[in-house]
Amino acid sequence: MAGTQATADTGALRAGPGRSRGVSETALGRLFVTPAILLMAAVALFPVIYAFVVSLRAYTGRQYEGFAGLDNYTEALQDDEFWASLEFTFVFTVTSVAAEFAIGLGFALLMNQAFRGRGVTRAAILVPWVIPTVIAAQMWFFMFNVNPGSVNALLGLGDFNWLGEAGWVKAVIIFADVWKTAPFVALLLLAGLQTIPTDIYESARVDGANALQRFWHITLPLLRPAILVALLFRTVEALRVYDLPQVMTGGAFETESLSMVVQQYVVLTPDPGLGSALSTITFVIILGVGVIFVSLLGRELTIGRTGR
Amino acid sequence: MSAPATTPASRPRRRRSAGAVESAARARTWGKSALLAVIFLWCLFPFFWLIMTSLKIENAGLNSPDLFKGPFGFENYRNVFEQDFHLNLRNSLAIAAVTTILCVVIGSLAAYAIARLPLKRKILLLTGVLAVSLFPPVALVPPLYELWYRIGLLNTYEGLYIPYTSFTLPLTIFILTTFFAAIPKELEEAAKIDGATPFKTFYRVILPLAAPGVFAAAIIIFVSAWNEFLLANTFAPRDPEVAQTVPVAIAYFTGAVDFQRPIGNITAACVVVTIPMILIALAFQRRIIAGLTAGSLKG
Repeated sequence: MAGTQATADTGALRAGPGRSRGVSETALGRLFVTPAILLMAAVALFPVIYAFVVSLRAYTGRQYEGFAGLDNYTEALQDDEFWASLEFTFVFTVTSVAAEFAIGLGFALLMNQAFRGRGVTRAAILVPWVIPTVIAAQMWFFMFNVNPGSVNALLGLGDFNWLGEAGWVKAVIIFADVWKTAPFVALLLLAGLQTIPTDIYESARVDGANALQRFWHITLPLLRPAILVALLFRTVEALRVYDLPQVMTGGAFETESLSMVVQQYVVLTPDPGLGSALSTITFVIILGVGVIFVSLLGRELTIGRTGR
Repeated sequence: MSAPATTPASRPRRRRSAGAVESAARARTWGKSALLAVIFLWCLFPFFWLIMTSLKIENAGLNSPDLFKGPFGFENYRNVFEQDFHLNLRNSLAIAAVTTILCVVIGSLAAYAIARLPLKRKILLLTGVLAVSLFPPVALVPPLYELWYRIGLLNTYEGLYIPYTSFTLPLTIFILTTFFAAIPKELEEAAKIDGATPFKTFYRVILPLAAPGVFAAAIIIFVSAWNEFLLANTFAPRDPEVAQTVPVAIAYFTGAVDFQRPIGNITAACVVVTIPMILIALAFQRRIIAGLTAGSLKG
């Protein structure tokens, strides 16, 4: 191609020491991606296969007892704890992602419009993102707690016990998640909004479209890829939820997530077979949801952009 | 009421009719700024609460929601460091730093190959990378725990930064591919004509130009490794002497009284951890935002 032609023209360079020692581009390409592929395969792919193998075995404690077939899976599927955690994880995911999307979109639209104080707000929006989730969990735990009762003081609720009843505890956990990640969603959507050319809005305005029509017929359709990406990442992350309920309740008040149940069977009440079966089920659920989103996104994401 | 001061250059259209239209526009601008203040408070007020609570000593932190009611002091901060919190900071710093270095080195090689070098099955490769990025870390917990248990990697730095690296690699690759792809191709061609080998071109021409992108990626990797809790809590749950990280320590801080979470110590530890993170975020906000959006708009 261009390179070979150039070197053919300038024959002197070809004999230069650098050229003769060099590796070809294709070889270099393979060489460069190999470590990344190997590492991701070793720590991501291999364990999944290994977990599947282990999930077919019977254990007492950590002691291997022989082949179990699908016994671990039937046990997992008959386990009330599993179904309870599945329910909580889904409720958490649906409500928190919906709230994060609504609030994040609101923030993004606002930041795309306003001029005064936009820079400062963009900086501030990174603060919840950078704060470790464990810290957010502790912080909101104390704010909602009866002592010192910061949220109650703010809302004038007296001694209302947010953390004493299953429904409200879930709401508090979801709120903490929304606080931490809505700004991040806003950031992603803002980036999407900024790619929409302003002259489309101008001509719509000339044609007499009002603000709501412009939002519905221009903003939303053109923002679709950014929305799907934000929803994909947030949904997959929310399905993995662990930090918030683990720190805020330790799983009490029906707030045990799928990840917490798996972790429990690995460390606290070790049963590698059952733990692996549960982790395989979790893996399939999360990856399944991810695949649905990715196929919705279609070619525009993975392929369209990187093809260049 | 001087018009030029309040009519920003960004809204020239409004100028055509003076008076009423202009003041309506100004009201709208102020209204939007007021709403921006809501976002601002949403993001920063909890942090302010954290600082004030951490400074309250004795039982003041638990007793009153009034943020300005003392007694105030630095006692909580002294307690935190008496509980070996500096060792947790050391562990987290080391683990996050090694993760960052490994990810940047391995990830930038792969990203360059994907963005620029002739490589077969790029789409398949990118799909694989995307799949890994959707991967639930909890699926790693049982198998890696068994493996680490056997080869003695529980409670070690290696036991954490190895999985962190492989989990953060997809994002690194997505971010860096975007940055590498944005560098003009002419530069490489010029280097090639001058007789540089492909490797030299990467090392001498592309890498320096991609430095801002690499830096953005490095910060994002560091933050995610620093904040990770599930694997840290499973593979190195106790003992700050060895490998317990900051989030694990903060999750299980114990106080003088058994059944009460020590609000002062916890909030003080939180402040110690968050202040440097927030400073980094503010100092490099443009790069971080560019990196975050590049990474996810692609992936």
